[in-house]
Amino acid sequence: MNTRRSRFVGLLAAGALILAACGSDDDATDDTGDDAAAGEDAADDAEIDEDDVVGDPDGEFEVFALLPQGNDQPYGSTYLPPMQEMAAELGISLTITNSQYDADTQASECEVAVAAAPDLIILWPAVGDTVRPCLSAAQDAGIPVTITNSDVNPEDEDLTRGYSGPDTYGQGVASAELMCEAADGAEIGIIVVNGLTGNSTAINRREGFVDTVEAQCPNVTILAEQPGDWNADDSQIAASEMLTAVGPDNVQGIYAADDTMAAGAIDALVARGLDPAEMIITSIGNTFLGNPLVIDGSLNGTVFQSSSWDGENAVTLAHEILTEDPSERVVRFMPDVKVTADNATDADVAPEW
Amino acid sequence: MSQTTSEPTTEPEPQQGLALGAAPGDLLQRLRTAVARRTEGRAVALLTLVVITVAIVEPRALTSYPVTLGRIALIGLVALGLTAVILMGELDLGVASTLAVSGVVMASFESLTVGIIVALLGGLLIGVVNAFFVVIVGINSFIATLGMLFFLRGAAFVISGEQPVRVANADTALQFGRPLVGPLTPRILIFIVVFIALHVFVTRMRVGREFYAVGGNREAAYDAGIPVVRRVFTGFMISGFVSALAGVINAMERTAADPTAGGTVLLASFAAAIIGGVLLNGGRGSIVGALLGAATLGILQVSLTLSGVQVDVQNIIIGSVLLLAVISDPASVRRVMARASTFLSERSKPQPAG
Repeated sequence: MNTRRSRFVGLLAAGALILAACGSDDDATDDTGDDAAAGEDAADDAEIDEDDVVGDPDGEFEVFALLPQGNDQPYGSTYLPPMQEMAAELGISLTITNSQYDADTQASECEVAVAAAPDLIILWPAVGDTVRPCLSAAQDAGIPVTITNSDVNPEDEDLTRGYSGPDTYGQGVASAELMCEAADGAEIGIIVVNGLTGNSTAINRREGFVDTVEAQCPNVTILAEQPGDWNADDSQIAASEMLTAVGPDNVQGIYAADDTMAAGAIDALVARGLDPAEMIITSIGNTFLGNPLVIDGSLNGTVFQSSSWDGENAVTLAHEILTEDPSERVVRFMPDVKVTADNATDADVAPEW
Repeated sequence: MSQTTSEPTTEPEPQQGLALGAAPGDLLQRLRTAVARRTEGRAVALLTLVVITVAIVEPRALTSYPVTLGRIALIGLVALGLTAVILMGELDLGVASTLAVSGVVMASFESLTVGIIVALLGGLLIGVVNAFFVVIVGINSFIATLGMLFFLRGAAFVISGEQPVRVANADTALQFGRPLVGPLTPRILIFIVVFIALHVFVTRMRVGREFYAVGGNREAAYDAGIPVVRRVFTGFMISGFVSALAGVINAMERTAADPTAGGTVLLASFAAAIIGGVLLNGGRGSIVGALLGAATLGILQVSLTLSGVQVDVQNIIIGSVLLLAVISDPASVRRVMARASTFLSERSKPQPAG
């Protein structure tokens, strides 16, 4: 796979140089065939660059991983290396794609993957509602599919063999438990900054948080909610508007659905001359942005989402399906580790992204 | 965009007959003239280069031709409609947003038939509004369609409630993505029909041929009595309709409409047109060229994906192909050669004694 890739890139580069050197369109193709053939021979003898290795070139299994992000996103860039290392360890040859959250591109990549007839497809849905045709096509071709990071809709689960990744509802529960513990029975009012409206992770985290607060600490009252769109700037505006709407004196806490938005909400407090350390603020992520906020006391607690766990387990689950062929759908949730000032500096919760 | 380019209308010329009785010199000259008039030369060269390379290195991209054809249709459909606008020297930046909003509109209806009709009519209406701002109000098409891009994207989010909209009859929609004739899916068949229709329109029908005159020299087109305003309206309506059609097809194939759809469509369709030799200033290019450009990109993308090339590297390669298509334009090469020649001749002049 990798030899082919190196060959391909090399040949295209050589062909491009030939075409550019010709400076006109009509002569280019004559030389291409010869050059391509020569390039292929050369590439046959070429050593594979270690940096280009994806999985094990002599892998026992061929697996396509259809992802919506990669090195273009902080999470993806720390998700991929552990995934590739685990693949190499388990003898899996990975072909990784990145649709950049374009559902049509991912659908087309899925068609390519099905045509390539790999042993298994790992799918991280770009848009959960649009993956059923891809899953059906894979099923028709007899290719098992496992899901990573964001699970498919319940009605599509029977087309997949397993899921590994965060339990987004459970993350909301864990963040609510942090809030309840910090409130310690006191009657407080809080504002909520949610993720992007309609996004399944945002919906699940909110449900987990709200359900838990209602069940475990009815002394915590949600005064207002607004989306912060996973974005610090939007979150700052949303938090500022909610503070104005309900009155800053009535607000003793904030829940934000991720650390980035928590940072934006904290900025909104500071801009109003309020001390974040006097508020109860909880979040989800334990990122490079959120972890220092926990250490300095601005954020009471967050829930660790490990990109390395996510990447590794996508491959280990695939390997389990390929080698053990379990009859039931396998679901492997990421542990929801709570991070507070007590453990924020521990090595096992060191932020990864 | 450019309203008065001096580029003469060179496409499509009626095919010059190569008289059997002509002298060999004449025949050669006529052949050279005919070839020189075509604008797809670079696209053919690039496509040949890509196909040869792929055939050697990643033949699965060619043996799995239904998949590759599907990718070409995905990229190419919007590019075909866009070409109709570019030929007149205008731009339509709203194609991807039109695609997104059309899919959402279609999926919002309980009846697929009604949804499809409303979505396609919506595409035509978007084209009318674009053209109105460009030729009646007089706003540059880049700015007018940029505004439309944001407006329609926002509309898609509002109509969909900011989440994907499932097609009411998902089972029917799911069948839409399956092969209909041999290995050809409805998307590919529709793409072929649109290609033939647009090619015939711009090469065989007077209205279509006048697109070149409007794009080549708008003032001259006015003077020649060509109804420029109506032609621009027609072009934008074609672009809007085809983009809406692409949105409907995408929503049907995915069984849901995503308001964020089309993120990569705008640049890919422009790239296909440019690689196909369509001049952004208007007046030059062809529907065949856009098809060749889409085929080049489609084959390249599928083979790179099959070869496991990361998307970052894919973008570098596709960007290089695009640059190559631009810099190998004979006009660009002639310009560079002329400048080099001027520079060298000035350097070789004897310097005045000081």
